[in-house]
Amino acid sequence: MKFRLSDRQVGVLFMLPLILAVGIFLVWPIAEAVRLSFVRYNPLRPDDQPFVGLDNYVFVLEDPLFWESFWQAIVWTGWSTVLQAVIGVGLALLLHQPLKGMNAFRGLLLFPYIVPTVVIALNWRWLFNSEIGIVNHLLLSVGVIDDKIAWLSTPSMAMASAIMLNVWKYTPFVVIVVLARLQTIPTELYDAARVDGAGVLRRFRDITLPQLAEVLAVVIVFRTIWTFNKFEEIYLLTRGGPGTSTYNLALYAFDQSIANLRMGVGAAAGVIMLVLLLAGSMLYIRVSGFGREDKAA
Amino acid sequence: MKPWVAAILYAVLGAITFVVCFPLLWAISTSLKPKDEIFRWPPTIWPENITFDAYRELLFGGSVASAPGAGVPPSAYFLTWFGNSIIVSIGSTVISITVATLAAYSLTRFRFWGQRAVPYIAILGYMVPSVIFVFPMFLTMVSLELTDTLFSLILGYVCITLPFCLWLMWAFFRGVPIEIEEAAMVDGATRLQVFRQIVLPVALPGIIAASIFSLIVSWNDYLFGRVFMNSMENLPLTVGVMHFFDGTHVDWALMMASSVLMTLPMAILFGFMQRHLVAGFGAGAVKG
Repeated sequence: MKFRLSDRQVGVLFMLPLILAVGIFLVWPIAEAVRLSFVRYNPLRPDDQPFVGLDNYVFVLEDPLFWESFWQAIVWTGWSTVLQAVIGVGLALLLHQPLKGMNAFRGLLLFPYIVPTVVIALNWRWLFNSEIGIVNHLLLSVGVIDDKIAWLSTPSMAMASAIMLNVWKYTPFVVIVVLARLQTIPTELYDAARVDGAGVLRRFRDITLPQLAEVLAVVIVFRTIWTFNKFEEIYLLTRGGPGTSTYNLALYAFDQSIANLRMGVGAAAGVIMLVLLLAGSMLYIRVSGFGREDKAA
Repeated sequence: MKPWVAAILYAVLGAITFVVCFPLLWAISTSLKPKDEIFRWPPTIWPENITFDAYRELLFGGSVASAPGAGVPPSAYFLTWFGNSIIVSIGSTVISITVATLAAYSLTRFRFWGQRAVPYIAILGYMVPSVIFVFPMFLTMVSLELTDTLFSLILGYVCITLPFCLWLMWAFFRGVPIEIEEAAMVDGATRLQVFRQIVLPVALPGIIAASIFSLIVSWNDYLFGRVFMNSMENLPLTVGVMHFFDGTHVDWALMMASSVLMTLPMAILFGFMQRHLVAGFGAGAVKG
């Protein structure tokens, strides 16, 4: 391994930008967020930043809106993740079938993932418009509902709309990952099972599902962490409303920092999110065997 | 597969594809309707009278229907915002890709103290949501007097694009065999020559994949633009179009036309990247 150890200067030189960038774009903002969470900081008076100890954390933990946001975030995350996983696996199985023209279907079904959130939010507001929206029209005309539903101005319906948006946008993520894994399952397993007389359902339960288990666990952890912290999907669709019925922690932190000019309180909420996220990441590392050389990718 | 099974599968796939594509088809249909037809109940599925007014207003400076007395309508800024989004997306992508490519090469070809920490750092950066980065970065920009500049937005986007660019490039370089490089160096080539003439061409597919992901993430971001920028002429597209909601009535044709135009560059990139997309996801998934 003489080669690997030669001309180290080039190697070090190539690493310098990354070390610098990690410092500026990762370590610094997180350290700054932690510092902010211990001071009172009104952005209109940036020179006055008294240290307030744990006051911001106490404020956050005693704020009913924080807890409301927390529980709503769990509802939002739970439904989104379960629906994405179930629909995602179903779609992946469908797209895995050896049919002509499958690439076109794959392309179209993965498309939502790259559509800007702003665009989806605008489209959703239009589709789910209570007066002249097409969704109400279609539901009325097939007789599912008798009256127009005020989708974005009733709390439970607003949450449902937001979850639908999230599922629409991010199910492709699950599809792509599961599809990639399906393609690596050896077909001999299925042939052997068929010889043994196993039907479609048995083959799914005894071969496909166990083979997918690992990648599914990883996807679910990833999606849970990301969904829990999502900001734009909810903010752009409902602004957290009606009232505060679709707030999650990201909206809470944003609101404290921007609308209430309490950067310190917002930062404290952010640090709490970060702690939850680190716990989630530990789970990810456990589940995926991440960091072991052969598994790291 | 039996023909009737295939027929059922096609029918199911067709139906699902239609449902998935419906929001965008509906946006296209709405964007082509004249104003009176938009507010008709029940709605027409396809416009009876097709008009390109909304596109004309966005692309040719709001001359079609500028609101009286309201000064410059937000739609007049559309092309400026479009340009801003292109600049910041490319800017942050160039930075992230350059840093990530150099580091990923170095990480896979040399041994360093602390090397094992790198994937953990990448995954951490990868999972931390923008809402945690955005305010500390904003306050830093304030003290550097950089707020409301496109440069500040480029730096902000590096926060969210660098971790997964590093991740993708690192996974990619581990898969590139080093034997050719060794042979070239035995023949007297220097490390830099090897990097330029052998490594970069081989790495090009990985660089393209990571770049496309990075462009998409920067193009689609809303939060950084919302917090960092003030002036109408400096907004990225995502923040700008939300100003169309500011008036007393909502011009849905304008909204949907801007949705379509905003999605178009990503749709074109997507056409190119489908192949790379799967490769990228296989190498460890992307930001979502």
